[in-house]
Amino acid sequence: MSLNTDFMVKVAHTAIQGVPVTLQIVLVALLISLPVGCLFALIRIYRIKGLEQIVKLYVSFVRGTPIIAQILIVYSAFPSLLNMIIGKAAFSINPIYYAYIVFTLNSIATLTEVFRSALQTVDKGQLEAGLMVGMRPRQIFWRIILPQALISALPNITNATLYLMKNSSLAFIMSVKDITAIAKTEAAFNYNFLEAYLVVWVYYLIICYSAEVIFYLLERYFSKYRRSTKKTTYFNWQPFSIKQPNVSAEAELTESGRGDHAQNRRIKKKL
Amino acid sequence: MLKIEGLRKSYDGNEILKGISVDVSKGDVISIIGPSGSGKTTLLRNMTTLEQADGGHIQFADVDKDFQKLSSKDIQTIRRNVGFVFQNYNLFNNKTALQNITEGLIVARKVNKSEAKKIALEALERVGLSDRQNHYPSQLSGGQQQRVGIARAVALNPKVIFFDEPTSALDPELVGEVLKVMRDLAESGTTMVVVTHQMNFARNVSNKVIFMADGHIVEQGSPESIFEHPSEKRTQEFLTDILANV
Repeated sequence: MSLNTDFMVKVAHTAIQGVPVTLQIVLVALLISLPVGCLFALIRIYRIKGLEQIVKLYVSFVRGTPIIAQILIVYSAFPSLLNMIIGKAAFSINPIYYAYIVFTLNSIATLTEVFRSALQTVDKGQLEAGLMVGMRPRQIFWRIILPQALISALPNITNATLYLMKNSSLAFIMSVKDITAIAKTEAAFNYNFLEAYLVVWVYYLIICYSAEVIFYLLERYFSKYRRSTKKTTYFNWQPFSIKQPNVSAEAELTESGRGDHAQNRRIKKKL
Repeated sequence: MLKIEGLRKSYDGNEILKGISVDVSKGDVISIIGPSGSGKTTLLRNMTTLEQADGGHIQFADVDKDFQKLSSKDIQTIRRNVGFVFQNYNLFNNKTALQNITEGLIVARKVNKSEAKKIALEALERVGLSDRQNHYPSQLSGGQQQRVGIARAVALNPKVIFFDEPTSALDPELVGEVLKVMRDLAESGTTMVVVTHQMNFARNVSNKVIFMADGHIVEQGSPESIFEHPSEKRTQEFLTDILANV
């Protein structure tokens, strides 16, 4: 068996048009679901009557069903629903909007849970300290609690984003012309399935890897305030190498040692 | 200046504070001592409206009301006139030492930034941490964190500063540096209410000692009278126990 490399190059060229589509779905879903997920998490934490039950139900519905079922339901329900409202025009709507809907609904549920756990990691003392310097609860939330919660949420947000990227490949079911859809069409024309799928595989790998790097840098930038006591885990820039990077965990410092720690490190650097 | 009468608080039917009255005058340094579970911390949290008391009256700043009838404006007035130093420091983890102090000044007091920075630097110098202004709490030792906590309270120039067991979470060798700062504050005339297990501080720095047990004030008076001639049996037992362990 040999791979038709010319064909692979060709597919790579055409499928690249799908990259923006994939990214669009991911970005739209993320931009909407981040604030909404945060809001839903707050509804759950503060047990706002009525709304809390709705959010709970919503989250368990989304988490309890496979995404493919959600796609099929949205894709069959929405067009006919819209047909009743705006008539025939409903069927000429770009299917990418349905993809936006499904993936946004889906990641809202995931991120609600991510934010819920992250907000709960912030110590109640932070709120009390804020109150005692005369800040209002809202100011404390925006300036003290949310920034800390976001940082502890970042690893899970990264995770959710990667799942979202990979799941977005299912958009082809709604005839959205994303990377997967384009490659599948090409493959069906020429019966070179493996080659086309390998290209898809590489594209997703590149996209997800880039996302991972971006999130890692974000995490490193924003968690500057908790870097000193322990070294943050080192990002593995060479995922395919056998040799793993050395992660030296510095021993838990004693109470008195911690204070001079930052300085010691600076001195160490100079030497 | 600050007068609390008949303060009551219960949790799930358990009465923790059974009608406490405290009178704080300007320049007072009051130590509250007592066995654990006697309600010392709860008293502090209720006096400062961090928790809502079930009954009692407060007279402080422009407020002269029953605790249950405090409006949110009253609560804000009370909070703006007190400073609070927590047992576990509670510094804002995402802010540097300097920002921890300026935060309240800028956001709550609407002091302009350069002025706030000036005040904060003075406060840090007062607790001997000028060189650590750009350190985050995680880069400071417990003792240093608590000193920043004190500086944060001092910078707001409150009428009274409350200390909730400020040295209890510290390693023994770090207690001294925090007590020294507190002693300096007391000497400069700051009004302080301190819940503490440091008997030396209670005895030598404060001008009034309150001994609490089981939600009551058992005895109060000058440090000499409490430590040398306690009149209540409960006080004598407590002091014998605690001094035996020193």
